[in-house]
Amino acid sequence: MLKNYLKMAFKVLLRRKFFTFISLFGVSLTLVVLMVLVALFDHTFGAYPPETKTDRTLGVLFVEFRSPDDHSMINGFAGYGFLDRYVRTLPNVEKVSLYSFPTTAVSYLNGAPVTSWLKRADGEFWQILDFRFLEGRPFTPQDEKDRNFVAVINETTRKRFFSDGPAVGKFLEVDGQHFRVVGVVPDIPILRIVPFADIWVPISTAKTDTYRGQKLWGNYLAMILARQRSDFPMIKDEYHDVLKRVEFPDPQHYNKAFGEAETLLDVASRAFLLERGYGESPVRRFMAWLILLMVLFMLLPTINLVNINVSRIRERSSEIGVRKAFGASSLTLVGQFVVENVLLTLVGGGIGFVLSYGVLHFISSTGLIPYAHFGVNYRIFLGGLAITLFFGLLSGVYPAWKMSRLHPAVALRGRG
Amino acid sequence: MTKHLLTLVWNRRRANALVVLEIFISFLVLFAAVTLGAYYADNYRRPLGYSYENVWDISVGSLMEMISGDSATEDKKNITKRLLAALRDFPEIEASAGMDNPLFSIGTSNGVYHHQGRKTLASFCAVTDGFQDVMRLELVRGRWFEAADDALDWDPVLINQRLANELFGSEDPLGKNIGNPEEKRQARVVGIITEYRENGELFEPESYVLVRRKLTGVADDAMRHIVIRVRPGTTAAFEETVMTRLLATARGTSFEIKPLAQVRASFLRFCMAPLLAIGVVAAFLMIMVSLGLVGVVWQNVTQRTTEIGLRRALGGTATAIYTQVLGELVVITSVGLLLGTALVAQLPLLGVMTFVGTRVFLVGLGTSLALIYLLTLLCGLYPSMLASKIQPAEALHYE
Repeated sequence: MLKNYLKMAFKVLLRRKFFTFISLFGVSLTLVVLMVLVALFDHTFGAYPPETKTDRTLGVLFVEFRSPDDHSMINGFAGYGFLDRYVRTLPNVEKVSLYSFPTTAVSYLNGAPVTSWLKRADGEFWQILDFRFLEGRPFTPQDEKDRNFVAVINETTRKRFFSDGPAVGKFLEVDGQHFRVVGVVPDIPILRIVPFADIWVPISTAKTDTYRGQKLWGNYLAMILARQRSDFPMIKDEYHDVLKRVEFPDPQHYNKAFGEAETLLDVASRAFLLERGYGESPVRRFMAWLILLMVLFMLLPTINLVNINVSRIRERSSEIGVRKAFGASSLTLVGQFVVENVLLTLVGGGIGFVLSYGVLHFISSTGLIPYAHFGVNYRIFLGGLAITLFFGLLSGVYPAWKMSRLHPAVALRGRG
Repeated sequence: MTKHLLTLVWNRRRANALVVLEIFISFLVLFAAVTLGAYYADNYRRPLGYSYENVWDISVGSLMEMISGDSATEDKKNITKRLLAALRDFPEIEASAGMDNPLFSIGTSNGVYHHQGRKTLASFCAVTDGFQDVMRLELVRGRWFEAADDALDWDPVLINQRLANELFGSEDPLGKNIGNPEEKRQARVVGIITEYRENGELFEPESYVLVRRKLTGVADDAMRHIVIRVRPGTTAAFEETVMTRLLATARGTSFEIKPLAQVRASFLRFCMAPLLAIGVVAAFLMIMVSLGLVGVVWQNVTQRTTEIGLRRALGGTATAIYTQVLGELVVITSVGLLLGTALVAQLPLLGVMTFVGTRVFLVGLGTSLALIYLLTLLCGLYPSMLASKIQPAEALHYE
């Protein structure tokens, strides 16, 4: 029976090519827009190397300090001293790493300025993240301790400075400081803000050691590797407790600290929902919003498809009349039309996939987002498939239901 | 005629409702996109108030040092003065000055300014003497900052015309205080400049105050940026020379030198990317809707062959049929647009979208109305031509 439906659907598609074209055009391009957004999301938050342990990694990304009367507050990255004292000492975790938000640093190559993103990190950074090394090795906690001027660079930096030849052992001048290259890693996309940089150097190589001071805020983030995911609530509680015990260097101005050990997605969700408070994870609400926006965007294409389907089915009223006269129930007819429409949208979906692949490739090649290489993986594929099916059902049910209610006598005459 | 068309449309209200809904939503989408575009285009064509060609921006201290103050403090004393003095030696540099807030970036510093009980919010930036020579600001009235201002017990400020109008109306702002009256040290207007748009062309022009920074030699005086005007034709190679000098003048501090034209270009690209994406998506939706409309009208015409044939047989001309089909489409479109306009008209009443001025709002409304009419008419052309070609004899046999 299903085979029959599919056969018929195929014939119908070929009958009115213009209508088929319009439907396929709408479905495939709608899918392209949604797929690009999904790919962007996946690119930013999905578990890709080097962030392979995201299932048991928490971060301290932002902290907030408030004055005694709550009137003034500072919300931003924490200072090294703060993280070193209160986060690195958290008990019951496997490892903690501190690293800076990347800053731009200038080097001169034959007189021409070259700007690179420089991240300062400790040795544990390389132990928690799984970087693949093209050559050499990461720097170690010992390098950090000994204040060794060593650097790990990405592929692009190697190409810029050493024209693609081996770089390990060579020297690099960045922001007036000289570093010996110890390792080269592939380019990390800029949207992966935890690992991203062009050049990574030990924290202790900073120009002055004032970063170690008591300053609460600064430019540092922490990464906490838990032994297992089930430890998350415990670690979050411990971090809350620690925040209550913070000693403030200047308690008249700031005497309260707020924060959360959380994931990047938690932070993004909060930012999107414009929430300031800390506490319960907002990821679910964020997702609900995203789905709502997606459905809103699909509203117009859906109505368009419904309109076309109504026209298309109306053309077939004599066929409907015959089937009804021979005893087909409304439900059977609805089933048939929905199957036809889902088939149509799946074909559109197929075209959409191919197009999205091209568009994503194009976006990667424009260099609009540095080092981004968007791909289509099975997760994105499944997401796209789900969107397509939803789309097909949504736009098929109403016209089918409407036509299935036609009176056989009217339908036989060929008038809708 | 119109009444007749209305009846025809009303008779097929069930089938037409979906088309009306489609046009209604398309209008909303188009209105949002067009208004946004008109808003930015309107901002873009207004003057900046300064010239960015041949100006280089030097940021003093890395982001990290700026946020955390992680820098050797004794080194920061007089840092701006020392850097400016070092730069004065180069013949390639025509003028240089310190400033706190960079141009062409996101974010501003805001303050409330007062005059006789009137209050207004304005952005401000601290600059040093000679800033006008680097940026080529235009003075409307009054004077620039000068070295003798160091001795004053009040802060001289320059305001732009927008703020002058907002705060003073027809009064003369020169010599008046605009700071909080309760504060001891007052900000007093010494000059009025035409315009100063810190965030660049895309952002709405705002009220602006340039505050004179007195360089007295304490760490707090350090300016975050230095701007220099280089002689036309100076190449990027000169950058390294400047950088070497800067690094030698203030040890332990990081610098970044960038031509303002380049900063502006990348900032524009950064701001335009989402707008472009919105534009592409809106255009795609419109193409899809128009194709769909062609299909729907076409189908309508085919289905009503007998009706049209009958009309032809009774003496209706081809032109009359043509007008009828298009007329029906116009009626349907108008219903959708009427609903859409009714909804959109609520926005200013509800206080949403107040950032868009009335003029831009009306331009957006008018353009999107016109575009939708144009689009639907275009979609109706081919099907209505088909309808007008229907032969009465053929049509009457139809079944």
